[in-house]
Amino acid sequence: MRHLILGSGIAGLQAARAIRSAQPEAAITMLGREADPPYARPMISHLLEGAVEPSHLHLGLPPEVRLISEEEAIAVDAADKTVTTLQGRKLAYDRLLVATGADPRGIRAENADLDNIHFMRTKAQVRDMLQELTQSRRALVLGGGLVGFKAAYAFLRQGLEVTMLIRSEYPLSQQVDPVTGSLIRDKLEENGLNVLVGRDVARFDDDGSGRVRRAELTDGSVLDCEVAVIGKGVLPAAGFLQGSGVDVDLGVLVDEGMCTSARDVFAAGDVAEHYDLARDKRWVNAIWPEAADQGRIAGLNMAGVPARYPGSLSRNTIRIFDMDLTTCGLVNPPPETGYEILEDGEAKKNTFRRLVFSGDRLVGVACVNRIENAGVLRALIASRAPVPCAREDLLRSDIQPGGIFPFFQ
Amino acid sequence: MRQVVVRPERCVGCMQCMAACAAAHSESGYLASAMRESPLPAARIHVGSGRYGEGFPNRCRHCDPAPCMAACLPGAIYRDQSWDTVLIDPNRCINCASCAMACPFGVIRYHRDPWVSPGRAVAVKCDNCLHRQAKGLIPACAEVCKSGALTFEEPDRAMKRRTDEMARRTAGYVEQERSGEEAPGFMLLRRLKKRAGQLAESGAGLR
Repeated sequence: MRHLILGSGIAGLQAARAIRSAQPEAAITMLGREADPPYARPMISHLLEGAVEPSHLHLGLPPEVRLISEEEAIAVDAADKTVTTLQGRKLAYDRLLVATGADPRGIRAENADLDNIHFMRTKAQVRDMLQELTQSRRALVLGGGLVGFKAAYAFLRQGLEVTMLIRSEYPLSQQVDPVTGSLIRDKLEENGLNVLVGRDVARFDDDGSGRVRRAELTDGSVLDCEVAVIGKGVLPAAGFLQGSGVDVDLGVLVDEGMCTSARDVFAAGDVAEHYDLARDKRWVNAIWPEAADQGRIAGLNMAGVPARYPGSLSRNTIRIFDMDLTTCGLVNPPPETGYEILEDGEAKKNTFRRLVFSGDRLVGVACVNRIENAGVLRALIASRAPVPCAREDLLRSDIQPGGIFPFFQ
Repeated sequence: MRQVVVRPERCVGCMQCMAACAAAHSESGYLASAMRESPLPAARIHVGSGRYGEGFPNRCRHCDPAPCMAACLPGAIYRDQSWDTVLIDPNRCINCASCAMACPFGVIRYHRDPWVSPGRAVAVKCDNCLHRQAKGLIPACAEVCKSGALTFEEPDRAMKRRTDEMARRTAGYVEQERSGEEAPGFMLLRRLKKRAGQLAESGAGLR
C-alpha cells in the first residue's frame, strides 16, 4: 500500500504516525513545501520571543517515512490516482491525504512586498525576522488575531516598540468576548504595546534599499517602523484541488472518517472543512490540536482501521505576562440568536469566566486565570450533552468532573 | 499491571492522599520536613467537592490515547510503555498550558516544583509514583487512603468487583449502603449531605 501525504505539518505527521502504527510495512511518502522537517508550528512565536531554541520545535518522523522537502503539489488526479508537483514530478498513490494547511491572507496596501514585511506562518519566516531584529527598534503588527497578537507579544518581549493596528475594539475579537478582550488590551498596553483601533495601512514606504521605513495609515497619519508583520488570518491551501474531483467549499469537505468526496482521498488539518460541535454547522477550525486529532483519525482510516472524528471546536490557550487566558467553542455568539450568557469573576482569585449556553447545552467558554480546569468544560461542550449540574457551578474556577457529573445515585 | 483505581463514592474528603502525594514528591520525602521546603511540594491528586459537597479524588487517568499528549506542542508528554504511565518531560515542557484545554479531567497544574524542575514553572501531574514503584512501594495516595476510595490493583479485578456490586444492587439482594460501596462509618454523613444537597437543588433550602 502506497500512502502519499501532502503537507508536513502536524496533521500530516500524526497521519504518518497512525499509518505506521497500523501498517508497519506500508510505504509512506510525505511532501512538504518547507525546507524544514516537521516542527511544532505554534511554537514559532516562542522562537521569535527568544524563549526557545530552534531545535526545541523539532518533531520526529516515524520510521521509514520518505520526506520530500521543498516540493509542492499543483494538481491531483483522483481518477488516475496521481499527484503532479510544481517541480514536475508525478507521484502515484493508493491512499492520499491532503494536509496542505493554510496560507496567510494578504493585504491590499501598496508596497506590501517590501523587505521586512512578513507573514508569520513558518519557521523560515521567523528566522528571517530574528536576523533583522537587531537592526529594528519599532515593529508594526497588522491585525489583532492570534498571529498578530503572538507577534506583538514576542516583539514586546524582545524589547521593541510595538504598534498594533486592529479593526475591532480589542485584540482577539474572533476568540474572546469584550470583557476578556479589554483585559488583554489593558495587559498589553500596560506592558508597552501601542494599540490603534479602526485604522489600516494604506501604503508602505521604502527606505531606498527595498526595506520598509514607514507606514501611511488610512487616516493619513504616518508610523515609522523597521519591521512589520501581517496577521490577517489564514485561508485553506486547497487551490490546487481545482478540477481534481475533490469537493472544496472554503476548505476541503470531509466526512466523519476524514474522507473527501473522491475515493481514497482524505483531508485533515487547517485545509479541511469538518463540523463545528458548538456552532452546529460546517466550519474550518484551523487550529493545531484539532489538526493533530484529524491527522490521526485520517491516518487510521487510510490504514484500514475504522476511526471516527466527531467534529471540532475552536480553542485557544494564551499566557500573556502574568495573565492566563483560555477560550473554547462559541464565545461570541451573534446577538439576539437565543444564546444565554452567564459571566462572573472571583475577585480574590483575580478570575473571570464567561459561559455561553444554547438551550440546555454549554457551547462556549472563556476563562481568565486559574485555567487548569478549562479542559473539563471543553469536554462538556464536546460531549454536546445537556449540562448535568447547576449552571452557576460551572463558573467556579475549581470545578472538576465530580462537581459536574453525578457519580453516585 | 496494577493501577490506582478510584472509587469516588467511598471518598470522605479527608485529603490525606494530597498530603501523602506532596510528601512523596518532595525533596526529603517525609511529610514533616516536606512542609518546610520551598517551593512547597505540591500534590498531583486533587480532592475537590462533588455535586453535594462530598469528596471527589481527581487524578490523572493515564488515558490511551492521551488527549494531553496529542495537544502538547513541544512533544513533552509521552507514554512510558513499560509502566503504562503518561509522563511529562520537564525539560521539554514550555509551560504553554495547551494541555489544560486538552485534559477532560482537569488534573494538570502549572507551577515551580521541587520534584521535577527547580526554578521554572512547568506542567505537573501524576506520575503513578514510579520512583516508589521502582522500590517496590505502591503509589502514595493509595497507600495512605483509609476509606478504600483509592486502591492499587489490577484494573480487570476492579472492574469485576464493580460489575458484581452493580449486579447485586440491581438484583436487590443487598441494600446499597451494605453492599460495600460506601465507606464504613460515613454512611450517615454522606446520606445527610446528599439529602441536603437534593433539597437545596429542589429549592427547599436546609443547606
